[in-house]
Amino acid sequence: MTAGYIQAKNVNLTFTPPNRAPVTALQEFDVAVAEREFVSIVGPSGCGKSTFLNVLLGLVKPDSGEMSIHGKRVAGPGRDRAMVFQEFGLLPWRTVEDNIGLGPELQGIPKKQRRERGRHFIDMVGLSGFEHHFPHELSGGMKQRVGIARALVSDPDVLLMDEPFAALDAQTRDIMQAELLRIWQEAKKTVLFVTHQIEEAVYLSDRVIIMTKRPGRTKSILKIPLARPRGYEMRVTPEFNELKLRIWNELKDEIDSQGGPVRD
Amino acid sequence: MSNRHASNETTAVTRKTFWETNEPLILGVGFIVLVIVLWQIVPSFFTMSKGMKLFFATPTMVFTAIGDLIASGKLWPALRFSSSAFAAGLALAIVAALPLGVLMGRSRLMNELFDPFVTAINATPRLVFLPLIIIWFGIGMTSVIVVVFIGALFPLLINTYEGVKNADRLLINVVRSYGASEWDINRLVVIPNSLPYIISGLRLAIGRAVLGVVVAEFFGGSAKGIGVIMVQASSSFQVDLVFAGLIIFMALSLVLTGIVRAIETRFNRWRPEKAKTF
Repeated sequence: MTAGYIQAKNVNLTFTPPNRAPVTALQEFDVAVAEREFVSIVGPSGCGKSTFLNVLLGLVKPDSGEMSIHGKRVAGPGRDRAMVFQEFGLLPWRTVEDNIGLGPELQGIPKKQRRERGRHFIDMVGLSGFEHHFPHELSGGMKQRVGIARALVSDPDVLLMDEPFAALDAQTRDIMQAELLRIWQEAKKTVLFVTHQIEEAVYLSDRVIIMTKRPGRTKSILKIPLARPRGYEMRVTPEFNELKLRIWNELKDEIDSQGGPVRD
Repeated sequence: MSNRHASNETTAVTRKTFWETNEPLILGVGFIVLVIVLWQIVPSFFTMSKGMKLFFATPTMVFTAIGDLIASGKLWPALRFSSSAFAAGLALAIVAALPLGVLMGRSRLMNELFDPFVTAINATPRLVFLPLIIIWFGIGMTSVIVVVFIGALFPLLINTYEGVKNADRLLINVVRSYGASEWDINRLVVIPNSLPYIISGLRLAIGRAVLGVVVAEFFGGSAKGIGVIMVQASSSFQVDLVFAGLIIFMALSLVLTGIVRAIETRFNRWRPEKAKTF
């Protein structure tokens, strides 16, 4: 593997839940992502894929391993990365506008400039007119639009997305996937996207990393050679289904005999 | 445009009649008036011995007594004394309880250090401390403030601690990922998240603080205050004056409840309607 824009090498992480045996979440895990590439990680539940995002985000310290973004070592949270969370993670007592302004606020940017910068991203995610709404007044899809705008507003190099559409209903998810592709092309970010939906991974990504069951390691990497921009029609083509089948064949051996919750 | 039209329609449909909007108020006030009227007229149906009359006061007698208190200039110094002690004790309790509660909720060391102490004092009836407080602080304002402080501190401290411990892990991680310091985490997530707990703690604390004023003034902590007026009136069988003190304490408690309600509404704007339970 050549040195990537996002580079993780030999990441090991074991944690010990209270009153339980230690769990090895990641073992010698490697990832390399090119600049402006869209890479998805799929794997059985509990394989450590979400944990890896938290490690890369800087919230969880690995036991060992080297991680860098654009040549800069990752040690703790930084402005070059932002995460879009599965459960949205919006502050319920803040309006859309003030949720989006969180990153700039913590960087000490004055309120007026925060608002101006936020406005651009509110438009980009299609939330104009909802600036002063509170999260409980929004639908799930709209909440995640806020989540995406909040991540983009601090202008990170890398967007980490932890099953961002898993809490949405099927139709909203389809719409949000198309929206994400549009936003990704507009914002020109490098994206590392964790999901356990095979179809989602194929539709969105340039490459898909398939992980083994715990302790999580890279099993194989699949290039998705489908042309961009991709439309919904592409999802019913033979090539698309062929790619889905290949990922499924890789994954199914990793799901334990009790039946892991990999869907699609 | 179409939006505005729709909202106009909704208002038209949901407009309530005068009775629907004011029903709780009319019923509530009406019942109080009824009780006062009955209290006033029922005694006149019975003939009472002189001895019995001694223990009885009608609403007119009570309000005359309040009027006399005002006219004689006795009310204001007593009221000022009692409410100053209340306000000072409560303010000190808030200032001490909030930071300590946050510390105990965020740091296991702090919690292990303070928890046995807090539990022990909280489990002890506050009245037990009064003799010691009088010896240490003398008869007067300081003793009343200390009694109020001890009473109000614990509900605030315990509720703040509970609220902080129940702070949303996900939200803490979100703000940490944007580079938040421990202070930022408390300011942006932990404290707003525990506000419902803190406000219900405040409601309990106000009750305990009023109780503190009464207890301290009743049991010799002070030579001034509404409570002292009541004790003196009681020992000379001035039932109307005792009732007057009681009514004044009730009125104060009502005002304070109103203030807490207003604070709740202020901090409640972001909550969905069905979750507004506190």
